Amino acid sequence: MFFLKELEKTIQLHPSYFGPLIRSHIHRELLTKEEGSSTGKFTIVCVLDSFDISDGQVIPGSGAAEYTVHYKAIVWRPYKGEVMDGVVTSVMRAGFFVDCGSLQAFVGRAMIPSDIHFDGNATPPQWTDNGDQIVEKGTSIRIKIKGLRSEVDKMYAIGTMKEDYLGPLQN
Amino acid sequence: MKTIRSPPGLHYPITVVELAKKLGDEIARSSPLFNYYYMTTVTEGDKYGDVKEVEKKFPARFDASADGIITQWFIKNGSVIQRAGVNLVEIDEPCEHEVQFGSLCANCGKDMTEVDYLTDERNVDRATINMTHDNVSLLVSQREAVRAEEDAKKRLLAAKKLSLIVDLDQTVIHTTCERTIAEWKDDPENPNYDAVKDVQSFQLADDNVSNVAANSYYVKMRPGLKDFFDRLSTMYEMHVYTMATRAYAQAVAEIIDPDRKYFGDRILSRDENYTDKLKSLNRLFPTNTDMAVIIDDRADVWHYSDNLVRVPVFNFFPGAGDINASFLPKQQELVTPTPKKTLPEPTPATDKAADEGDGVPPISVAGNPAETVLTDSTNGALTDLGQQLLSMGSGDDPEVLEQQVKEQEKVIISQQTERPLLQKQLLLDQEDEMTEESEDPEETENGDTHVLEHHKHRHSLLHDDDRGLDLIEANLRRVHRAFYDEYQRKKAVPQGGRIAELKGEKSPKKRALEDSVPDVGKLMPRIKREVLGGSTIVFSGIIPLGMDVENSDFALWIRSFGAQVALNVTRQTTHVIANPDRKTTKVKRAARHPHIKIVNAEWMFQCCTRWEHVDETPYLIELDPTERSGSPLEDLEDDEVVGTADEEGEGAAESPVELDLSDDKWQSMGDEFQEFMDESDDTEGDNSNSDSESNRSDVSAQTESKRNKRKRKRVTSSADVSEGDDSDTSVNSTSRLQRRKKRTMERVTSLTNVVSADKSSGLPSPETTGPEEGQGDEDNKGADAVGPAADESDVDDGLEAEMMAEFEKSDSEEA
Repeated sequence: MFFLKELEKTIQLHPSYFGPLIRSHIHRELLTKEEGSSTGKFTIVCVLDSFDISDGQVIPGSGAAEYTVHYKAIVWRPYKGEVMDGVVTSVMRAGFFVDCGSLQAFVGRAMIPSDIHFDGNATPPQWTDNGDQIVEKGTSIRIKIKGLRSEVDKMYAIGTMKEDYLGPLQN
Repeated sequence: MKTIRSPPGLHYPITVVELAKKLGDEIARSSPLFNYYYMTTVTEGDKYGDVKEVEKKFPARFDASADGIITQWFIKNGSVIQRAGVNLVEIDEPCEHEVQFGSLCANCGKDMTEVDYLTDERNVDRATINMTHDNVSLLVSQREAVRAEEDAKKRLLAAKKLSLIVDLDQTVIHTTCERTIAEWKDDPENPNYDAVKDVQSFQLADDNVSNVAANSYYVKMRPGLKDFFDRLSTMYEMHVYTMATRAYAQAVAEIIDPDRKYFGDRILSRDENYTDKLKSLNRLFPTNTDMAVIIDDRADVWHYSDNLVRVPVFNFFPGAGDINASFLPKQQELVTPTPKKTLPEPTPATDKAADEGDGVPPISVAGNPAETVLTDSTNGALTDLGQQLLSMGSGDDPEVLEQQVKEQEKVIISQQTERPLLQKQLLLDQEDEMTEESEDPEETENGDTHVLEHHKHRHSLLHDDDRGLDLIEANLRRVHRAFYDEYQRKKAVPQGGRIAELKGEKSPKKRALEDSVPDVGKLMPRIKREVLGGSTIVFSGIIPLGMDVENSDFALWIRSFGAQVALNVTRQTTHVIANPDRKTTKVKRAARHPHIKIVNAEWMFQCCTRWEHVDETPYLIELDPTERSGSPLEDLEDDEVVGTADEEGEGAAESPVELDLSDDKWQSMGDEFQEFMDESDDTEGDNSNSDSESNRSDVSAQTESKRNKRKRKRVTSSADVSEGDDSDTSVNSTSRLQRRKKRTMERVTSLTNVVSADKSSGLPSPETTGPEEGQGDEDNKGADAVGPAADESDVDDGLEAEMMAEFEKSDSEEA
């Protein structure tokens, strides 16, 4: 789910950046460092334009300046039970991996409908019901999150496609 | 199925009061299983201040530590549990968490890292085996791994395939970073154009090694790779297992397998390997490696696995080495210069001299800048840095790591700036010009490409003539055939299993399947051991001084082919593998025994890569006939190489004799050895002495070595003399006598005669070589040797004297 969230970030700037363009340097630093990063709980999707930069403070000893930036960003946080679209990245006998943006999810054998079975001899290997449902590398797929765990900067998810309207997307 | 045991930390003994659940009831985690009470003494005080110890009964509740259905109670109302670890109840769990992704159960989605007051074993410990190629987060349990492998085994058997683990660098491809390659590739005029025109390049996005921007990798496929994969993919399911980074492995896979039909996603790189020192079959086949075959150019990283088919190194860009071997343990030894390892027909001597023009001189002359780069580049390299290592948590010493990284940066910079290949080519061109001026050379080289008319004499540095894949394929076919032959044979006799079943032995069906699948790890060594079985090999001038010969790479390699490796030349020795440039003492000793074949290292490579006992003739080291016969009148200086056709002929003709004699040798080896030990005390001293001498001479300055050589020469020649004398006496007796003697010796197991085996195997026996040839040869030797025998005899060693004495004695007995 997407949220608009107010965040705070401390940025250190090397003295060589001091000058009239300092604001744009801070802005660029914020964008490159923050956009796309994951805190373990959520992923920062997009930093919004208006932000508030505090006065800089020179750190004794190094000469770098420290700025505290308050900004708003669109963040994405997955929840257990959420339905998501993703792309299959790897297919194996035990299941397959789905990338849903920054979140990698695994769909295990137990989470795949029993009429879809693994075909390891196909190239590339695939999960298929020998009909129109084929899950192979690159397939767009809709899954539901069954379990979620976050580490410091990474999230793991277990997905399922064993419910109605889940599975490969036709397009 | 999970059994709950009484946990530690309760007040034992405890007495069960009432079970809360019946058999077959469903139970939720942390809901009560049963009630119990325990007795303990407490201190109680009353209102008058009296304090007394009272034994009291405390009721308590026991909570279930797992969900599931109760399948068995081990306790009943009133049971007393005396200690921790007693079985209480068995619960059938709905999910056993056998597949876990990032510590989440893949089957139920629960977090496996949660620990609470009920946890008796951590759930993450249930699945600890990784069998996926491209992910480190997906783990499975032992049981699940076995199941998966059974599935895979059935699938492979049905398709009549085996698994093949393929190494990338220097096995199927060779990579360099030198941009000279790109220039050559764009220049059809360049003599190397033909060789490099199919080289493909790529860049890695996140490659910031050594701050050199946009580092390009140039990949040369081993010649015939596509066809090789095509043919092999019908027999093998192939996996890539490389010590390179994931990005590099993917990029290379894109080149060698653009359609993904050979490897699919079965690519395992350093990033998923947990350690960067070793490759392990168990990483991919955790429980069963019966059907896995490996091809790799290095055996040490596999711990000399029995499943390994070691392949000749693919070294297309001279000196580029394996750029991904950076963090691997150092290659044990420098490989001796073998310019054209896999050339089926070794170039004759005359040709060789011209041929050497493109192999050796650039190294020795260009030498110092380029050469240092080469040696470094095999060890240092230019792939992703220590970061990854650290993140993988391999407890490496950061200092060492830093050093490696620095070294590697140095290498890449030198490769990019100094361009060793370009330098070499320039030198080569210079040399060509020189030879052109001096004479009109005949074009005899087979590996060279002559592009244009006016480039006629411009030699190319790179040779596109590697035939290694053919050899690999032949070996792999052999393994595949052997495996399925044995499988069919075993499957064809399931009667044993059936009878066993009738006899009531347990689970015959399962056993039958297990038994009928042969183990590649046993099958392959068996095939390999036949190759050089019965040979005893001595290395001389091959393995660097100060190295443990027994455990050196070469020794381990050749031993896997059934050969014995000995330290000194003895009676059992059949081959001496020597450096052709140096005449060591061992070689000289061996030279006195015509049955010992003195070959160069090339012979060993040939045997070990082709898996067959290659005819030694083309690899024999040309020895001065004087060394064979030992005439001290010959001066050392005129060490000119004379064609030794007669010796080669001898060697070839001898081989059958040698084979049947080895049996004999084995029989009497024990007593002979004993006797030898008794007698050769003084000889041994001499041996070790001369050995160390030779070793010293290897490293010492030229002059000293020359002096030593001269001195040694005298010693050995005198020894040769006595040998010559010896043979003289023996051969001068009629060949019939000789034959009779040999026969009797074989009968009597030569207990009395130490020399017998040596003699009988050493001399070309009349049966095979024909009396006149053998005799003529020996006569010559004898004639050469007779003169100086007298005045040199004081230097003679004890063994020879013994030998002569024994021999004469036996002769007189015979007469």
